[in-house]
This record gives sequence, structure tokens and C-alpha cells, in this order.
Amino acid sequence: MDYEINIAEAVRYMGYGGLTPDEGQMKLIADCAAELKEYIKPAWIYRLFPIEETADGVLLRGTSLTLGGSDIKEHLAGCHSCVLFCATAGAKADELIRMKEKEDMVQGYITDCLASAAAEGLCDALEAELADKLPGKYLTWRYSPGYGDLSLEVQPKVLAVLEAGKRAGVSCTDSLLMIPRKTVTAVIGVSDTPIVKKRQGCSKCNMKDKCTFRKAGEHCGS
Amino acid sequence: MLQAAGLEAGENPDLLSLTDPELIESIHLKYIEAGSDIFYCNTFGANRLKLAKTGKTPAEVISAAVKIANSAKTKASRTAYCALDVGPIGQLLEPNGTMLFDEAYDIFKEMILAAEGADIIVIETMTDLLEAKAALLAAKENSDLPVMVTMTFEQNMRTFTGCCIESMAMTLSGLGADAIGINCSLGPRELKPAVDKLCSCTGLPVIIKPNAGLPDPLTNEYNVLPEEFGQLLADMIPLGIKIAGGCCGTTPDYIRAARKAFEGKKYQPREFTPVSAVCTASNAVIIDCPRIIGERINPTGKKRFKQALQEHDLDYICNQAIEQIDAGAEILDVNVGLPGIDEKEMMLSAVRAVQGICDTPLQLDSSIPEVLDAALRVYNGKPIINSVNGEEKSLSSILPLVKKYGAAVVGLCLDEDGIPKTIEGRVAIAEKICKRADALGIPRSDICIDCLTLTCSAEQEAAMQTIEALRICKEKLGVRTVLGVSNISFGLPQREIVNRTFLTMALTKGLDLPIMNPNIASMTSAVRAYRLLANIDKNAQEYVANYGGETPAAAAPAVKQEDMTLGYAMSHGLKSDAAAITAKLLETTDAMEIVNGILIPELDKTGAEFEKGKIFLPQLILTAGVAQSCFEVIKEHLSKTGGGGVSNGTIVICTVKGDVHDIGKNIVKVLLENYGYTVIDLGKDVDPMLVVKTAKEHNVKLVGLSALMTTTLKGMEETIRLLRENHQCKVMVGGAVLTPDYAQQIGADYYAKDAKQSCDIAKEVFGQ
Repeated sequence: MDYEINIAEAVRYMGYGGLTPDEGQMKLIADCAAELKEYIKPAWIYRLFPIEETADGVLLRGTSLTLGGSDIKEHLAGCHSCVLFCATAGAKADELIRMKEKEDMVQGYITDCLASAAAEGLCDALEAELADKLPGKYLTWRYSPGYGDLSLEVQPKVLAVLEAGKRAGVSCTDSLLMIPRKTVTAVIGVSDTPIVKKRQGCSKCNMKDKCTFRKAGEHCGS
Repeated sequence: MLQAAGLEAGENPDLLSLTDPELIESIHLKYIEAGSDIFYCNTFGANRLKLAKTGKTPAEVISAAVKIANSAKTKASRTAYCALDVGPIGQLLEPNGTMLFDEAYDIFKEMILAAEGADIIVIETMTDLLEAKAALLAAKENSDLPVMVTMTFEQNMRTFTGCCIESMAMTLSGLGADAIGINCSLGPRELKPAVDKLCSCTGLPVIIKPNAGLPDPLTNEYNVLPEEFGQLLADMIPLGIKIAGGCCGTTPDYIRAARKAFEGKKYQPREFTPVSAVCTASNAVIIDCPRIIGERINPTGKKRFKQALQEHDLDYICNQAIEQIDAGAEILDVNVGLPGIDEKEMMLSAVRAVQGICDTPLQLDSSIPEVLDAALRVYNGKPIINSVNGEEKSLSSILPLVKKYGAAVVGLCLDEDGIPKTIEGRVAIAEKICKRADALGIPRSDICIDCLTLTCSAEQEAAMQTIEALRICKEKLGVRTVLGVSNISFGLPQREIVNRTFLTMALTKGLDLPIMNPNIASMTSAVRAYRLLANIDKNAQEYVANYGGETPAAAAPAVKQEDMTLGYAMSHGLKSDAAAITAKLLETTDAMEIVNGILIPELDKTGAEFEKGKIFLPQLILTAGVAQSCFEVIKEHLSKTGGGGVSNGTIVICTVKGDVHDIGKNIVKVLLENYGYTVIDLGKDVDPMLVVKTAKEHNVKLVGLSALMTTTLKGMEETIRLLRENHQCKVMVGGAVLTPDYAQQIGADYYAKDAKQSCDIAKEVFGQ
């Protein structure tokens, strides 16, 4: 699977707002991006599950995983199945950031932001692959644990269902952080009929009161 | 099989041994009858972490599982052996995750102790070599059963954490595994190259247990059928495999098919000669030509290094590591012995820190067996121990450690009577060390004899004697040779000339491991030139890569260094220029004047621009990084001239318990240090009580806490609560999910929205 590291996106994570760094900075960022892509070994897994709505949320059939809450119900409304996935920039990304931080903090910080962009890039590539593998189906945008009222508590179970430990090298700490750090899990709904795309607004986001993007009148996603 | 029998994906299969023993037994029986000689008990995830929420203990689950296995054995029509199955803990060890080695060891030990009744212990599906090591040590130290270890490799022949096959083979063989191999991740076709490689890397029996091909990502169905699977396994017999089986997606049909495909075929023994090598998990260094051991992580004669040890400054040690690696070191000696410090604790911290930021193998350097033992446990790979010598006390305490942990060792040619004057005397001690090592089963390939460099100005005839003794040892004893080179020139002018020539002379007589300062370009280039002339560096690749072609075109600064001000260098991110200007300024200007008159105002200016949104975080960090290199020059200067340097105050910072996102905290640290504060950085995932203890011990007035996630804010709250109960100080907090309101709510005194603001808060607290 080919993926892109969106440098403009990474620059946004660095706090530049809408501005472009100067030439010297851009060169450094491009060099770090090339090194990161060379160094890391991303991994991803996904699986298709038929779903059914229950009183507490949405059950993935064949598993004991229920995605709890009303927001996910709304998100998957009209879908007969969903794809559960996990994509990670991998342990090598964390390692490179760790090394860079010791050697040169600027490069460490830049690489950290680039690795976040890499994880997003993987998700985009994965979404494109799904569209290919599921011709004639309609897909929702990706919805992650921790968003809206889908609790982060579901994370360990999501990883267990996907066997993310042995298949992507991803684990989850007691405080529900995924390791490697640059990892995304998400759900994409699959429907036979067109889905009315709801805007991924900030109102459902748990970070809405704290987000620095939002304070600056921007938003984090695309 | 369990999923086919109704187990839902994501459910804990280990509990079935308690809830549905008949099901488990019937599956065991199916496998035995299909032809399995070894079958795994249903204990893969029966560790205390994975069982935590089930209310069951590993002892309960494991003893039930082993009981079922034994019952199946008695009911079966053929003989089979049952193995305690030990899978990964499910949480990653440092530096990837937060778990400590000892914690992992303990979790595995609990499983091993519950395995009464099993015939074999199997450790499988490991991706982290250090975790596999923790499990293997737990097995070896708490059980007499044979132990097999298999790890999981991807198509690039590395595990997810980057472990390579050579490193896996030499580390696990050294630690005493009885068989090693590969399981899971891919099908037999994809794994064949990895199996081939492994067979060439070990003398141990090799295990292969692939998946039934590759799963369809959407449906999770595997693509290799039993007959093909059996045939592909049989095709690997000529490679030298001894034990074969099936992992994910395989069923008793696959075992039956494999059994059939194996009919009439026999295990084909392999020739294996052990090679001299050391490694980290991701980097194996074969000692088949001279390799440079960097000597700089050592306090001897270095005031600045001693100061770093006294201040527990691990960043300084890490920087010494990086500098030497960049210069060409292939192995790093680590010596942190200094009167008045806890050497064992310091060695452990140093090994953990250095192996977290580089993949260069280490040479663990201490004279105290307990220090070595502690470091050997947590070292991720195969290290060199420095050193053993001909004294009885040393032989009987160090060599058993070498054997137990499968390390290489430096053997010094000295004993109770000191260093022998004659060549024969030194060779005799080397021989004695070798014989004692032989008796323990330590291969000669793991012994590196040091014939000892004496100072040429004191004993001029000794240099040639050392080199001659080295030549004889290598030829006669079949060992590798090592020498600390720099000592030769002590007391002479222009030491570099003597060192370089001595090094070259020794290389031609068979020196394998020069211990030297790789930062001196002429020393490293001598080794590289030797590798070229001795026809080791084929086509001069390494030589040309280092010295040929384009000289790196340093982007010519608009201003020449002579004309440059420190302020200019700082705002343009010119680290080495800034350091050079600082060094020059120190010749004429008082250190504190430079700090207060130039560095701090420049930092203030940058900080103000950052606040106004004129520059952004990368530029702020850039300037801070340059300032840091200036401060390092000043520190070095002060430690030489005896000036203590003035601290503006001490601050304890950390990323709180449960959180591993520490880049923000690390940036804050750099900035605070720039403003002259002494920062005690406790790292990430820090226990609240450690924060309290440290704050009290150093009587600090300000503590900084960082957390990124909502789920880790409780760690922050808890830390603040305990601080309030035990110590009078101010607390500032920061991190993505915090707000001023929330900071107040959990009892913090200050909310810092960014690194710049944390410096403002420090100024307020310390009143400058």
C-alpha cells in the first residue's frame, strides 16, 4: 500500500497556522520527511464485519465488540457492515523521533509532526484501498474511539478483535494509549446505498473546548 | 479452531480451560491423532495482565490447562508432549512502551511457576527481543524444562520492533534456549527466506510454525490449503529445520497433511561454526574485521563527564554515544564507575538510556560482578563484558556471568602478580582464561584477549611485546583480540601521531577491536584505511563513502564566523558557529556576562516573537538548541576552571503516570535549562510518589507536569494531590487536553499553554 506524508498537514501540526515556513525550514522538513519514510515500516490491518444495532450501540457480529453510544449509531445508520481498522507508522517511527530528539530537538519535533501526518496518510491510503476492494459499496468517513460519545474504553477490545498485537505490533496501555504512538484505529461504515455525508464537525469532538486549531478559527481534519 | 467452535473474535480464549475443558481436550486430541508430537496448552495469554479483568489468576488458568493437556495425553492413541504456551504480555517494554524489564520477568515467572505437569516450555509470537529474553530468563531460572522460543518476522525479515534474525539467533542461543524458530505472521512460502537465514545463524534445532498463508484482509480467510501447506513445510527440510507445525489458520488437517508430506524424509543436520559477534536487537556486528570500540563513555580523567554522573545527566551520556557513532564507532564501551555514586543504578540507567536511542552494541565495563549482572539482564542483545582477568577471584565471578547471559568477554592478560613482563607470561594468562572458559562451555569466538597497552614513555620495549603477544594469542588460541590504544602515548607530545601509528601496527598483527576515541578523525580513518588495504572494504566502498566525492557543501552563511555575533548565530540556528563564538568569547569575557548579557536577552527576544506569532515552535526550539550548545561550552569551561556555575533554581518535570507522549515535556526542558534552571527530568510514565520523593529530596519550589490524553489526566491529578500532602511547592501543568479551568480544578497553581510560558512561570516563581 502506497501512502503519502502530507507535508502541508505536518506543517499545520507544527503550529504554523496557514503560513508557510521559510525556505530553510521547508528544506529541513522535506529532508526529515524523506528520512522518516525511509526509516519506518508502517503496518495496518482491517476486517469487515456485519453489524447490528443494539440498545447500547452497534454490535460487530462474530465478535463481542459493541461500539457504544448514540453518535456511532448515527454514523453507521443505513450501513449493513463496517470495516474496523488499525494503521500505524510503527515502532520505528517512535524510535526515530526518540533518536532525533536527543540529537537535535528541532528535527525531533518536526519528525514527530511528520509521523502524525504519516499515520493520517496511511488511513487515507487504506480508505482508497477499501473503495477498490468494495466496488459498488458506499463508505462513510472514518470514526475513531474517543470521538463523540464512543468511549476510548473500547480501544483494547478493538485491538483484540483485530489481533493488532501480532498483526501490526500495536498494543494499548492501561491508560488507553496506543503504542506505537503514531497509530489510528477507526470504523468505516459500508452501505449498499449512497450515504448522506454529514460534515465531520467540531461539535462532536471532545477537544472542542481545548483545541488550538479551533481557537485560531481552523479545524484539525480535512 | 476455537473460533470455529464459537469463540468470538477478541474474547479471551484462555478462560475456556475453566469454562469448557471438554472442548479444549477434544481439540488437543484432534491434533495428537492428526500427528502432532508436541501440542501447546491453552495458555498463550494466561498472564496476569491479560487476565486482570477476568478475576482469575494465571495459576488457576494454567494449572487447569495443563491438567486438560495431560488428560488428553492419556486418552490419545499415540505419544505426544504438552508445552506450556507463553505468548507476549500484550504491553510493550521500554523504550517502545513503558513496562520495565523486571516487571515483564515477574509476569513470565508467575506463568512458569504454574506450569507443573508440562513437558516443555514454549515462548512464541514474540516481536520484542527484550521481552523474549525476559521470558527465557524466567524459564531458565525457574524451571528445568526444555525451552523453545519462536519469534514473529515480517517479509523484510525483521519483527515489528525491528529485531533481525542474526540478533535473535545469537541472543537466544547465548541465553540457553534449547530450540529457536519462527512462527505466525506469514505463510510457509513467505517465511522460507527467513528460515533459510535462521538455519545459517544457529547451531540449535530450528522451529518453523507458519500461518496457513496470508489472510484476506476483509474476511480473515487464509489462502493456503492443507496439502500445499504440508508440501511447503517439507520443502524446508533441506534447509535444516527440525520442528515444524502450524499457527494461525491451520487445523488438524494441516498437521495431517504435513505429517504425510514428511514421510520418508529425515532431518538434515547442518554444519555450524559459531562466529564472533555482538548485537543489539536490530543490529548485529560480526567481528570478522577490525571494529572500532568507542571509549568516551568513561569518567576517567574527564571532569565534565564526572559532573554528568553526579548530576545523573543521562542526556549528556546519550550525546556522547551519538557523537561517537557519528564519528564511526561500531561498539560503545560504557563505564560509569565513580566513587560516591551508586554504580549499579547508574549503569542500569545508562544502558537503558543509550539502548533507547541507538542500535550500536555495548561493551559493559565494570569491575563489580553485581553491576555487570544487573546490566546484562536488561541489555537488549548480546554485549561484551569488560572484563575478566587471570585472577582466581575474577575468573570465578565473571566467567559464569559470561556463560549465563551468552555474552562475549574481554580477557585481560594480568593476574594476582600484575602484568607479566614477558610475551610468554601474557600468553600463558590468556591461555588460562581460555581454558577456564572452555570448561564452562564458552566458545573461543566469544573471548577477546587484551594483551594490555603499556605507556611507551615509561617502558619503551613494551609496545612491540604487546603486539607480538597479541599475534601469538590470536594464532594459537583462536580468540579475538582487543587493545585500549590511547594509553601508549601517555606523557609524550603529539600523542595522536603515536596512537595512530601504534594502532596501525597492531592492526597488521591481528588486532580486532581497538578501544579508542573515534572522534579523533585520524584514528578512525586509520582503521578505515586498514580495512581498505587489507582487502576487507571491497571496492573501497566504505572508504569512498566516508572520504571521497563531494565534501558536504555547508550552506555558506551570509556572514563569516569572524564577523558573526552570537545573536546572529542563534537566530539563524548555527549551532557550531555559536559554540565556536562562545568559546572565543570565554577567552576575554566572564561566563555569566555572556549568559546574562547575550544568551538570555536573545532567548527573550525569540520568546517574544513566538508569543506574537511572528515565529513558530520549530524556530523557537532551533534557537533554544543553539543556546544549549553555547551553554554546553560554558559548562565545560566552568568545570575546567573550577567555577561551579550558578543555577537559577531547581525544577522537577515529568510526563505523568500512564502517559508516554513526552516530546512537549522535552521541549520545555530545553527552554528551562536555557534560562539557567537546573531541571531534574524524571522522564515519562512517572510514578506520582517518585515526583514527591524527588521534590522533597531536592527541596524544589516548582514542579512541572505534562499529560497529553484525557485518560492520563487522573495521573496528573493524583500527582498534584500527593505533592500537596507531602511538600510545599508550586505546580505548573501543560499538555494538549488541559485548559486553564481544568488546571485549576485539579489543583495546579499554573497552566502553561506552551514551553515559552513555562519559562515565564519559572521566572515568577523564582523571582527573577
